[in-house]
Amino acid sequence: MIFTRFIKYLKVTVLTIVIFSICFLKFDLNAQNSSIPVFGNWKNFTVKDGLPSDKTYCVRIDGDRVLVGTHDGLAVYENNTWKTYTSEDGLAHNGVLSIDVCKLTGDVWIGTMGGLTRWVSGKFENFNQFNSGMPNDLIYSVICDEKYVWVATGGGAGQYNTHTKKWEIFTEENAPMHEPWTYGVCAGDDNIYIAAWGGGVIEYAKKTKKFRDHVDPDGNMEIDLFPDDGVVHDITTGTSWANGNLWVATYFGLSKYDGVHWKGYFDHDSGLASNFINYVKAEGSVAYLCTDKGLSCTDGTNWVTYTKNKNNVNGKVVFTKGENIKEITMSPSISHNFTLGVDIKKDVIWVATSKGISRGELKK
Amino acid sequence: MKRHYWVFGIFILFFMFQGEKIIGQEKKEKKVMYGNTPDDFFPYNNFQKAYKYHFLEPVQFYGAGREKLPPKDIKEVRIGFLGPLDGSPIVPLGKQMLNGATLAILEANRKDGYNGIPYKLMIHNDVGLWGAAANEVVKMDGEKVWVWLGSIDDTVSHVALRATLKMEIMMVCTGDPDPTFTETSIPWMIRVISDDRQSGYALASYIFNKEKHKRVAVIRTNSRYGRVGIMEYSEVATRLGHPMMIEERFNEGEEDFKMQLANIQRSKPDAVLIWGNAKESALIVKQIRAMGMALPIFASDRVVSEEFLKIAGSDAEGIVSTSPYNPDADNPKLKKFRADYIKQYNQEPNAFAAHAYDGMNLIIKAIQKVGLNRVLIRDVLTDLETFQGYEGVTGKIILDGSWNDIGDVFIAKMKNGKFNYSSTPKMKRHSSKSVGY
Repeated sequence: MIFTRFIKYLKVTVLTIVIFSICFLKFDLNAQNSSIPVFGNWKNFTVKDGLPSDKTYCVRIDGDRVLVGTHDGLAVYENNTWKTYTSEDGLAHNGVLSIDVCKLTGDVWIGTMGGLTRWVSGKFENFNQFNSGMPNDLIYSVICDEKYVWVATGGGAGQYNTHTKKWEIFTEENAPMHEPWTYGVCAGDDNIYIAAWGGGVIEYAKKTKKFRDHVDPDGNMEIDLFPDDGVVHDITTGTSWANGNLWVATYFGLSKYDGVHWKGYFDHDSGLASNFINYVKAEGSVAYLCTDKGLSCTDGTNWVTYTKNKNNVNGKVVFTKGENIKEITMSPSISHNFTLGVDIKKDVIWVATSKGISRGELKK
Repeated sequence: MKRHYWVFGIFILFFMFQGEKIIGQEKKEKKVMYGNTPDDFFPYNNFQKAYKYHFLEPVQFYGAGREKLPPKDIKEVRIGFLGPLDGSPIVPLGKQMLNGATLAILEANRKDGYNGIPYKLMIHNDVGLWGAAANEVVKMDGEKVWVWLGSIDDTVSHVALRATLKMEIMMVCTGDPDPTFTETSIPWMIRVISDDRQSGYALASYIFNKEKHKRVAVIRTNSRYGRVGIMEYSEVATRLGHPMMIEERFNEGEEDFKMQLANIQRSKPDAVLIWGNAKESALIVKQIRAMGMALPIFASDRVVSEEFLKIAGSDAEGIVSTSPYNPDADNPKLKKFRADYIKQYNQEPNAFAAHAYDGMNLIIKAIQKVGLNRVLIRDVLTDLETFQGYEGVTGKIILDGSWNDIGDVFIAKMKNGKFNYSSTPKMKRHSSKSVGY
């Protein structure tokens, strides 16, 4: 008798929970119908497939080939095969952290742990602190902007004029940084945006050659007093600009700046996979965020996050819009959740991770 | 009767959510406020709840690498060292740090090293071209060090820290007191020496709560050490209602401070705080007294050194500073370390030697426990369990959620030509009702 009554109570409890879930946790099936492209059909590459190292730092799509920076050399994927270039071939250092391709000349600029390399016509030309005016040999970020090549280093930001072959260095002595520690750089409109460690974002106007800094107004490292009053934290790790928006990566969350207003995003109030953002790449209205817990993509309202399961090759895609969350499984998923670099061209995405590189195709 | 079933269901649901809430609260009450910051000292605590509080939980490393097997053919276990060993005003501190680290290595090798393989210190000087520390960490990666120890200068440590994240080599910092060093969220370091946040809290509490001063002038070095070091003291002083009367600056290497001291004299302070390296601090003390100012002098912990005492002489009498450890503590480990150190190097160990000795011993114990894998060494050093409360020669090492050492600091007061050490004034620490909890 007691057992029967207990079962009845149990059934009612379960039914109540189900009804509650349906009422309050309704899924918005339209969450994925946003401007954010969704990728699938993932193919993953590791040492077994020809990469020199599983630890990949960056990726750049260059026409029909893909350039991948790894801990043990530059890997180039062309015609379905991998070819590796190392210091023995002329690369400044085997650790390749950043790559960009000059739109004007097609030259490939490679930021390594031991200098900057220009790869042109099959030859490597190296720049370091001893043979040029470069600020530091450890290059965290390199970009090409017209005739200039910009690098971000722990010894300051450097601007190389490929015509005059001269460097100009920006540090705390001639720019509004507290220290010369720079870790990301991007070009946008008429400006260059430098991610300065402890100094927020340094904006450099190309026409006037004037600087302006963007910092967290609360002035304290242990808190973010208001989320939308400026960059979410002064320790910035990367910047990317597209469609009039500047996206700023930090290890504390994400910021978006439209030229007037700042907006902050954290993992607890958005679909961001993690506040620890290694790299950001903006393409059109979407920012692709390489975090330590997966790849997140956002237009500021909608979120799509790719993750991999811990114990198998499968994973999931999580669609988030406000309170509405939807998940779908993906088999296989990206190579690893610790993502470090990303590049997108048309209907293909490449993601550099802590354990291999992943290629995804646009889902129609 | 059916109505009773529904009531029961709702009752269960209510308690499900309340239970979660209650459990959540209990969990939160166990958290340690970042930097062990007293409620009164926490930014905006009395005015505004922040949208986001950082450093309450340690950031984990989610990257690959734990699966890597240890190499089989190595002849030495390499551990990196980065410090000011040449071309820097703080070379004496760097050399003591190297001595402390080396002593720990020597002792470990006498005990058969790592499974019969000797430890070897790969020594790097951190002074050189811009951002030299980054290049040195890259070299350590090439040398295949498993973990490294350093440094002192904050401009070095910050640059090295970002590089060490890329290389994924654990960094054990035993000398840099810059509070912002651990405010970077990088899960590849721990700091096993108290920072200028703790020193600033202790000094402010001593100056304003114990000694009841109200008008304190500050003279500090114009370097990053001075700018960032004084920051926590300055903010706390303001929150306690006693902002700095005046803040004068000097450059490292400067020897004549009369202009800055005349400005301070005109502000009529009731005490002076000096924040700088030993040499300049000593010269300032002498010139304060030579100008006839008899007011109490406080200073940053770099005055607790032989170099300071040698230059300041009898004018140092009565000066009060902080110290990240108590060399006179009744600690058998410390006594043995001092004896061994003096025997090995024919000099007294300072705070940098003692902390480097503790830091290197933590490194060795970590390797002994998890083997030769960089990520696993990181994991065990940062798990806030295995070595939490480790009793070293400098006392108990306690790390907060940002892996910052919040163990004891001490008040060091010069009396009869010798620093006497005592506990810092008791500060009302945070309560579970603090904002952010």
